[in-house]
Amino acid sequence: MGLLDLFRREASPRALRREPLFDDDFQRKLEMLALVSRRVFAGRLRAERRSKKKGSGIEFADHRDYVAGDDFRSVDWNVYQRFGKLLVRLYEEEEDLSIYLIVDCSTSMGFGEHKKFDQARKLCAALAYVGLANLDRVTVVGVNDGVVSRMPTTRGKGRIFKVFEFLSRLEPRGSTDLAAALKSFVAQHKRRGLAVLFSDLYDPAGFEAGINILRFNKFEPYVVELCDPAEARPALKGDVRIYDCETGEERELTITDGMLEKMASAVNEYRASIERFCAQKQVPYFAADVNTPFDELVLRVFRRGGFLR
Amino acid sequence: MTLAGLPLSQLLMLGGGAASVTVLLYILKLRRRAVPVPFARIWDAVFRDRQATELFSKLRRLLSLLLQLALLALLILALGDPRPKSALLNGRHIVVLVDGSASMKAIDVQPSRIEVAKAQVRKLVRGLGSADRALIVQMGSLPSPLSTMSSDATELDPAIDALTASDTRADLERGLSFAVDSLRGLPKAEVVVVSDGVLGTSSEIAKHVDLSAVSLEFLPVGKSGTNVALTEFSVRRYPLDKSRSEVMLEVTNTNERPVQVELTLLGDGAVIDVSRFALGPSERLPRYYQDLAGASRTLEAKIRMADGRGDDLPADDHAYALMPERHRARVLVISSGNTYLEAALLLDEYLDVVTIGPGKTIPSEHFDVAILDGVADALPDSVAAALYLNPPEAGTPLALGPTLNDFGFDTWDKKSPILRFLALADVQVSKGHALLPIASDRVLGASDQGPILVSGARAGHAFVALGFDPRNSDLVLRVAWPLFVLNTINAFVEEDTGYVSSFRTGEVWRVPVASSANSATVIDPRGVHHEVPVKEGRAIYLGEQAGFYKLVTGSGVDATNGEFAANLSDLDESRITPVTELALGNKRARPASIGAPGRKREAWVYLLAIVAALSVLEWITYHRRVTV
Repeated sequence: MGLLDLFRREASPRALRREPLFDDDFQRKLEMLALVSRRVFAGRLRAERRSKKKGSGIEFADHRDYVAGDDFRSVDWNVYQRFGKLLVRLYEEEEDLSIYLIVDCSTSMGFGEHKKFDQARKLCAALAYVGLANLDRVTVVGVNDGVVSRMPTTRGKGRIFKVFEFLSRLEPRGSTDLAAALKSFVAQHKRRGLAVLFSDLYDPAGFEAGINILRFNKFEPYVVELCDPAEARPALKGDVRIYDCETGEERELTITDGMLEKMASAVNEYRASIERFCAQKQVPYFAADVNTPFDELVLRVFRRGGFLR
Repeated sequence: MTLAGLPLSQLLMLGGGAASVTVLLYILKLRRRAVPVPFARIWDAVFRDRQATELFSKLRRLLSLLLQLALLALLILALGDPRPKSALLNGRHIVVLVDGSASMKAIDVQPSRIEVAKAQVRKLVRGLGSADRALIVQMGSLPSPLSTMSSDATELDPAIDALTASDTRADLERGLSFAVDSLRGLPKAEVVVVSDGVLGTSSEIAKHVDLSAVSLEFLPVGKSGTNVALTEFSVRRYPLDKSRSEVMLEVTNTNERPVQVELTLLGDGAVIDVSRFALGPSERLPRYYQDLAGASRTLEAKIRMADGRGDDLPADDHAYALMPERHRARVLVISSGNTYLEAALLLDEYLDVVTIGPGKTIPSEHFDVAILDGVADALPDSVAAALYLNPPEAGTPLALGPTLNDFGFDTWDKKSPILRFLALADVQVSKGHALLPIASDRVLGASDQGPILVSGARAGHAFVALGFDPRNSDLVLRVAWPLFVLNTINAFVEEDTGYVSSFRTGEVWRVPVASSANSATVIDPRGVHHEVPVKEGRAIYLGEQAGFYKLVTGSGVDATNGEFAANLSDLDESRITPVTELALGNKRARPASIGAPGRKREAWVYLLAIVAALSVLEWITYHRRVTV
């Protein structure tokens, strides 16, 4: 390190590593997760998702009075024989579930050696695989202050490699504006469905607006917050000039142990506020620690419910 | 209050520069380290508490700067070494006499006594107080001051580095006289003698040097003394047969136990004799080599222990000598017949003698010497010198005095190369003349009635005149007669019968030169050139190195080259057993006390460096958040 380096800003979050993120080991774990998801939730949470519409499915739902123009084949002749009334059988119409996996690609996600970003991509890939395996329609979207990248909707387990390729190309850059990004997202995706948001929710404008946009547009939001414990207790001391890695906002501080305690409290309070908001709005929330293996986190997501029904 | 160290102007310059650096470091220190965070909003809660401590933090930093500047000012002032004038005058004044004699080359302590002495002197200088002054003097055959009286290590250290041991003896009396003269009138005068104590007879020194005003201290060097030495080495050609030579040397065992010695003689660089013999305790063994052949110019002698080991003093294990060059002198005899003269000239086979009668035409070729027997014919320039025997009045280079009868040599110059070793006391002369020399002439022999043997020069031609006919005396019947004739011829052709085959180091040498130049160049055994003066036909040089020297006179085509040798040949120096005490008569030198290093003013320099280093370290650790 040269002398002049003493006076320079510390390097910004490093560029995305090109190490294989989804290696063979990762894919084996995905297979295991898919099997586990079927065994644990069998009979209770079928992967196929039925809509509230009544239609031409095979599961009986209800009867209604016959009206002119109905298909005679749907008349329940047994009921007519017993009650003398023409009733038509109604079946639950089966419908593909649309799963939208929204990955925050802002600079803050790459902070701390990309731990958050890598963990988010692994979780995203895992949930995408489970969704594809259950024949759901999976769409992956990268956002920061807008939609930066989008993988076309796909289905079927064999398409998982497209998902891997897409996620590998994502890089954390730009600032966070969830409201603008998700407004753009809902405008582009008319088909409603489950919207899983992978983000650290470090939005200067507030994380609430983004989640509300999903809610107000009939999406079913699911919030996965990426947490790096190192951010709650940074290795800093003395006089420093901190600056926001996304906005460049600066603060001059003399950091002491007491301040670090307060910093840890402030981070915990921020996370608690996210959890409170999600609970109030009945939005499933899940905190994903970057230091916890992704497969364990995925199982926790399954157990928590909301993703698979 | 006086600044004993750096002057005020330098202190101000230094202080200004250092203060600038300090302020620059302070400004850099104020510059905060920029650190990225993922989300600055979270820090806002922490940021609100910072406002209250900001003012105190600024004050603390300003205090820090003021403290550093104050510290700097004190250190700069310390560099000036401020102290009361009285304290300055009360410092010690020390003359350090370091023995530079041959015995200090002894290697009984590693790497040598002189190197150990230098290390001791360095410690001594490091231990000086800030007001102390020291003068480093090398004590050889002459005392040589290598520094001024100074407390400045930058001057004293090079002086210590320049200390060397030469092939001479140390003249303690001269050294002490120099030291006492240097310290005259100075308070707290001290003389520190750093030596192995091989300083000759020191008991007489106290009588000649007044040491009452100085404190004498002694710092001994050395621990043992096993040595065998060549204490004499000389070679000469036989006067009557210059093709042969003889060598005399002396080997001395300075130890208290017998030793086996191997002696090697080298002629012109080649071994011509090797012999082994035993030497008893403290034995001095002279050895002669007669009819020595195999060497035409240089001769060297080397000794070592028979088992191949060297002794503790290699400097006296090697001796050098040069044999006189042989010339076939051309002699012109103008005589009407002189049997005694002819007989004398027959003794030297290296003479080309041409005899002519008086008044005859003198051959035009060159003659080194003309012998004019009872005549004074005019001599051409081709004749270099002349010996007049009983010269007549007319044509003689000097006037004749009254006629003398029944006289002899009452006085004669025994040191003259012409008369050296000649017994002239009872020479009887029946008839002759007194000679009347001029001022530049030299009377070599005289009776009570006047000079009868005179040498001199006229128009660049040397002459010797004898005021009587040798045949009118019993001189021709004596051994002195042919010696006189041959010595005179040799003196004219520079073949001195008193030829010095080697000079003794530490003495002023008077080396004969061939030309009439006023200066000459001496090239010592190390190849160093020295311009030396020439007086009375001899180059004057104080040599301190044993070995072969070259002597160059003139320049260009007129340049003439000569050679000579020098040896230590000093038994006292070869006795290298060190002494632990130095006593000069009743005065006994105190053991020298070497102070602990760090008492000198230079300690402040080190202190300044430490403080500067600490300051930089503090700045870096503070800035890198190690110490805060």
